[in-house]
Amino acid sequence: MTAITDQAYTEYKDADRRANIIKFVAAFLFIVFGFWSVEVLNIPIERLLGMFGRLGFMISENLFPPTMSYVMEQRVLDSIIETVQMSVLGATIGTLITVPLAWFAAWNVTPSRSFLYPVARGIIVVTRGMPTLMWAMVLVAIFGFGPFAGMLALVKETIGFAGKLMAESVESIDMKRVEAIKATGANEFDVLFFAVIPQVWATWVGIIIYNWDAQLRNSTILGFVGAGGMGLYLREQISILEYHTAMAIIVVIIGLVVLSETVSHHLRRRLY
Amino acid sequence: MAVLEISQLKKTYPGGELALKGVDVSVDAQEVVVLLGLSGSGKSTLLRCVNRLVEPDSGKIILDGVDITSLDKRALRKTRRSMGMIFQEFNLIDRLSVLENVLSGTLGTTSTLRGIFRAFQQEDIQRALALCERVGIIDHIRKRADQLSGGQRQRVGIARALMQHPKILLVDEPTSALDPKIGREVMDLLTEVARELKIPMLVSVHDIFLAKNYSDRIVGLQGGEKIFDRPTRSIETEELDQIYHEAG
Amino acid sequence: MTGVAITGNPLRDPKKIARKYFAIAVFAAIILYIGKVIIVDGTDWARMGSVSEVIDTMLFFVPDFSFFPATVVPLLETLLIAFWGTALAVVFSLPIAYLAARNITPFPWITYPLGRCLIILSRSTHEIIFALIYISALGLGPLPGILALASRSLGFLAKTTSEAIENVNKGPIEAMEAVGASRATIFFFGVMPQIFPIFVGNVIFQLDINIRRASILGLVGGGGIGLMFAEVMQNLQYDRAGMIVVGITTMVVLGEFISNRIRQRIV
Repeated sequence: MTAITDQAYTEYKDADRRANIIKFVAAFLFIVFGFWSVEVLNIPIERLLGMFGRLGFMISENLFPPTMSYVMEQRVLDSIIETVQMSVLGATIGTLITVPLAWFAAWNVTPSRSFLYPVARGIIVVTRGMPTLMWAMVLVAIFGFGPFAGMLALVKETIGFAGKLMAESVESIDMKRVEAIKATGANEFDVLFFAVIPQVWATWVGIIIYNWDAQLRNSTILGFVGAGGMGLYLREQISILEYHTAMAIIVVIIGLVVLSETVSHHLRRRLY
Repeated sequence: MAVLEISQLKKTYPGGELALKGVDVSVDAQEVVVLLGLSGSGKSTLLRCVNRLVEPDSGKIILDGVDITSLDKRALRKTRRSMGMIFQEFNLIDRLSVLENVLSGTLGTTSTLRGIFRAFQQEDIQRALALCERVGIIDHIRKRADQLSGGQRQRVGIARALMQHPKILLVDEPTSALDPKIGREVMDLLTEVARELKIPMLVSVHDIFLAKNYSDRIVGLQGGEKIFDRPTRSIETEELDQIYHEAG
Repeated sequence: MTGVAITGNPLRDPKKIARKYFAIAVFAAIILYIGKVIIVDGTDWARMGSVSEVIDTMLFFVPDFSFFPATVVPLLETLLIAFWGTALAVVFSLPIAYLAARNITPFPWITYPLGRCLIILSRSTHEIIFALIYISALGLGPLPGILALASRSLGFLAKTTSEAIENVNKGPIEAMEAVGASRATIFFFGVMPQIFPIFVGNVIFQLDINIRRASILGLVGGGGIGLMFAEVMQNLQYDRAGMIVVGITTMVVLGEFISNRIRQRIV
């Protein structure tokens, strides 16, 4: 080994040693964090290890087989239809609101960077941050039980979900085409329709479809807090400990969601 | 005594493309054999059949007395350790450091657990550093592989292959992705080190200059067939030109 | 100028336009119908009261900031649940991603569909449903909440990771095969370094989303601030509820901001 290699070797060993120390300390801190979490959260570690073996059994005993006949009851079927209707309405109204909002919230095309932009961005960010079911409960307290509150909740979800995606897609357009239209002396609306919308149209349609799918997922669970849809019966059955019928509703919910995702996936494929 | 003996190697790709139509090549100890051919002549396929990265349809490949074509998966893995491969696109692990890339040459023998935690053996580390110095990249060992220039990356590839104490080097168009001048530097290094360590090489190229200046013997391939196989000394460049372009 | 005479406006094909307007009309009709069903029929307008009553109810929710200290511990709990749920999801998403990646799945006829199914189940089932299932077996508390979050998150992580694996550059993998490395080593050296940045970015993304999800798990007994929220709502202490919403929203928004920064720096 030459002198250069020797030196490189000692440098390597030192760096290696330092890295190992850091890794050990990090691992140690992580483990301490784990113990602390168990304390703070009051997780019954002793029962835990015994529990896991039985987890599978307990779940299958309690929940299987699901009593699918329950779903065929008229009121449940009605609630399923209500779920879908609520989601379509909420998503559509939400989209109508979101389109101008996304325009305002896009840095490159917003008509007013000092006012409309921060406000629009703020609205989108805050509506994204609010947990769905909490907001649904608030709406139920204000507007009463039923799909109206649920629909409003979905409008809020749409603003947060689709709003961010739409604004981002606007921000990624080619600004040169916008400048070209502006140079002809066109006003804001013309710029929007001739330069911006043609570029984002395809993406936006994809987002709208994606949003319908996302809101359907949300709508299935809104009923749990009384905001309309089949979630209500899920809560009902669980509260009377009828787990098999509750499982039936869960199966339908999962089925609906999978169906919706498949449809939305294929529609979006066909777009491109 | 031939280190590598390839006989009647045939390979047809699933699409129907006939890549090798029964080729015989042999490499003696300490010999540098060049496979010369245009794209599609089958030289890359031939190389990859030797370590069975591509499975040949028929034919025999014998390395140092071992019939490679008949090995099962585990034995094949073991045998691959004694064949170092150098790639046209370098095939380094971009996010890892140069040193880690060179050390990855030992992953055939290093246990999986050691590899994951980068707990390489001391002697491997020292050897890797020595090789890095030999190929001229010792100043870059801690850099990420993708921060290096093309020529430097190929040097890392060379060091990695040499880490395996290979019985033979399989070299696939080592300079096609490099500038001609850098390419020649790399070829100089490669042939120098191979001769130093007494390792035979099977190199595929499409450049006549490289073939003429860096080999002991040239094997010409065209359309999956061998069209000539002669010691380099016995061929003139003009002859090569003619044969090459006539056939190709 | 010779050539075919152009009649009408070539940019406005009457048939296409008619079809387009027809589709829009049908769609509008459907929406209006649903609107009638839901808004007009399905809503108890009488109970809702007049506009001013509704506004009064809304004002009840103006946050009571003095309530903030009481929310700190539950918010912290929520954060911890989100963290550990994500950590668990990370651990389990890797093997599932391995199964669901077409190019490296070990037994394509069995493991690939299995991987895909697990991913679909995970992404289609709301975390509340997972929480209910785990609570039925484990009782109330943060643990079923953590498991529920993990079950919900691992779908996304496994899906994005498996897609990254499918798009990986083959060169380094070839090199590792040529060296004679074992399957596991080929994965760790050939595949992992390539998918690492994407994976970490997605983990941070999920961590942020899980804060939001964890906050509602408490509504069904999964620990965290959800429980406190359900209580104050039940007690009609709407100003406190408002405080909780503000608190959790702030946490989530902050989390999104931080996570965006970190993700930018990784790429």
